[in-house]
Amino acid sequence: MSTPAVEFSGVTKRFGEVVAVDSVDLEIADGEFFALLGPSGCGKTTSLRMIAGLDLPSEGSLKIHGEEVGPLPPNKRPVNTVFQNYALFPHLTIADNVGFGLKMQKVDKAEIGRRVAEAIELVQLGGMERRKPTQLSGGQQQRVALARALVNRPRVLLLDEPLAALDLKLRQGMQNELKALQREVGITFVFVTHDQEEALSMADRIGVMGDAKLLQVGRPEEIYEQPVSRFVADFIGRSNFLPGTVAGDDAITLANGAAITGPTTGRSAGTAVDVSLRPERVRLEARGAAPADRPSIDGVVRTATFLGNAMVYSLGLDWLELEARIENRPSQARFAPGDEISVWWRDDAIAVVDGGR
Amino acid sequence: MIRGWTARLLGSATGLVYFFLYAPVLLLVVFSFSADRNVGRWGGFTLDWYREFGANAEVQDALRISLQVAVVSTLIATVLGTMAALALERFRFRGKKVFDALLYLPIIIPDVTMAVMMLLFFTWSLDLVDTVTGFTLRKGVGTVVVSHIAFNISFVSVVVRARLDGMDQTLEQAAADLYATRWQAFRHVTLPLILPGVLGGALLALTLSLDDVVVTQFASGPGSTTLPVFVFSLIRKGVTPLINAVSVVMLVISVLLVVLSLIAQRASSSDEPATE
Repeated sequence: MSTPAVEFSGVTKRFGEVVAVDSVDLEIADGEFFALLGPSGCGKTTSLRMIAGLDLPSEGSLKIHGEEVGPLPPNKRPVNTVFQNYALFPHLTIADNVGFGLKMQKVDKAEIGRRVAEAIELVQLGGMERRKPTQLSGGQQQRVALARALVNRPRVLLLDEPLAALDLKLRQGMQNELKALQREVGITFVFVTHDQEEALSMADRIGVMGDAKLLQVGRPEEIYEQPVSRFVADFIGRSNFLPGTVAGDDAITLANGAAITGPTTGRSAGTAVDVSLRPERVRLEARGAAPADRPSIDGVVRTATFLGNAMVYSLGLDWLELEARIENRPSQARFAPGDEISVWWRDDAIAVVDGGR
Repeated sequence: MIRGWTARLLGSATGLVYFFLYAPVLLLVVFSFSADRNVGRWGGFTLDWYREFGANAEVQDALRISLQVAVVSTLIATVLGTMAALALERFRFRGKKVFDALLYLPIIIPDVTMAVMMLLFFTWSLDLVDTVTGFTLRKGVGTVVVSHIAFNISFVSVVVRARLDGMDQTLEQAAADLYATRWQAFRHVTLPLILPGVLGGALLALTLSLDDVVVTQFASGPGSTTLPVFVFSLIRKGVTPLINAVSVVMLVISVLLVVLSLIAQRASSSDEPATE
């Protein structure tokens, strides 16, 4: 295996008494589009800032392409950052903003001119060279920030909530563009976001952070299909949690006594677990119409919400509320509040996470 | 009806304010051209007092010393004041709160107190230098410059801090991320962005230095009479319209400085947001 682009080993960051990042181990592969995902205050931005050198780790080792960078100041690291508010220099033109890093490295003038023109072309801002940042729209400023970082040919590009300041339409366009840009320049992108859809749609791999800890690292499908904890399942998409206990290998007894099959991954019998069931994985039938060979649970429709492309039902089972999302297809039966129904699911539709809160 | 009254009342109040502000200025300018030796009695138009201003060696010396003191003390106070502002806004260190409070002291304490402090300090420290090294130093231009630097640092740092406080710190982080050393980040990002504040502080310092009488009088010695101190002494000797002329010249210099600082601020606001 080749040297990882970024490698955290037992990295901890404390601000006074507060632990912002708690012994994180993480390897980000070269050329990867990696997302650090988590709610605000989970330590994802601090992790990014430690890669950039804007914050220094309190403990542990941080390597960029195999080289220890722990105590190095930002200007000595082969990485560049796209800041959340872009942090463009207001007194410099677009061309001077983009050329700033090269000028600081004392690259010769002709070379700077050539590479700046190239970078401005790359982000499609030709003709804007002489403008000041405040004369550009938010989306254009975002591109300048990208060009200003990429022109230095960093080995790793860091992006702090790069799309948060853009409006929804622009954000979706930029998602595709960023992805295409990353493929074009072929360098490692590490980006921080609190938006799970953004992470799922853009990243090759995602690291989910919560409460200063790195909870799970994996491809978007893995994170979505096999969340390791209730927190991850809840943060990535929506999920129902059905409490139960492990009855044996891949056998679980739900709190209402129903025996179901699910991946218990080595948990011993009697362990409290939660079964995570995504709303769109819930199968909904009229009472008694569920397949006879599957365990099914009876309940009543509490509310039905029409979303255009889907119906969202809130179902009252005898011991909990369940959310179900049913694609709106012509053949699909619809239910109304008060209807008596049965729910079931396929064995591979669920994930098992540690129980309790 | 009430609106009419209010408007009239406000209007006359405004008129009075302007009258009391500018009537003295107008009188000063007018009587600086009066031929009568008595200040405040019109004796026909003359430029004699301005001629005397140009010819009087004492006045010329005082003006030269004033400008020297102002320029040197402003340059030094601007550098030190900006450094103090940077230290307080960008760094954390032990005793920062105390340093902060001490820095403001010269703004708060009365001029006379400052002046007496300076007098005591210079007398005591020059004596000390004398007994320790055998060099006899006297109060003069040097001590005046030092005293002006002492109070100007505070004013400069207040103005620069206000500007630094309004500056986005991520810009400095961005500069560091783009391979700038601390010095390069200051030189290429911080300084250009706070320059209007630095210039404003410098012009304020220049004005304060040119205007100061009280502190200067206590800190000066033979051969270091500044223009305001000279004017003050003229009044005690017996007033001639010469001091009108001198005052007009000082007025013109002050107005020029104010206009300059306005231009500096105008120039800096040109990189404020433009609409798309």
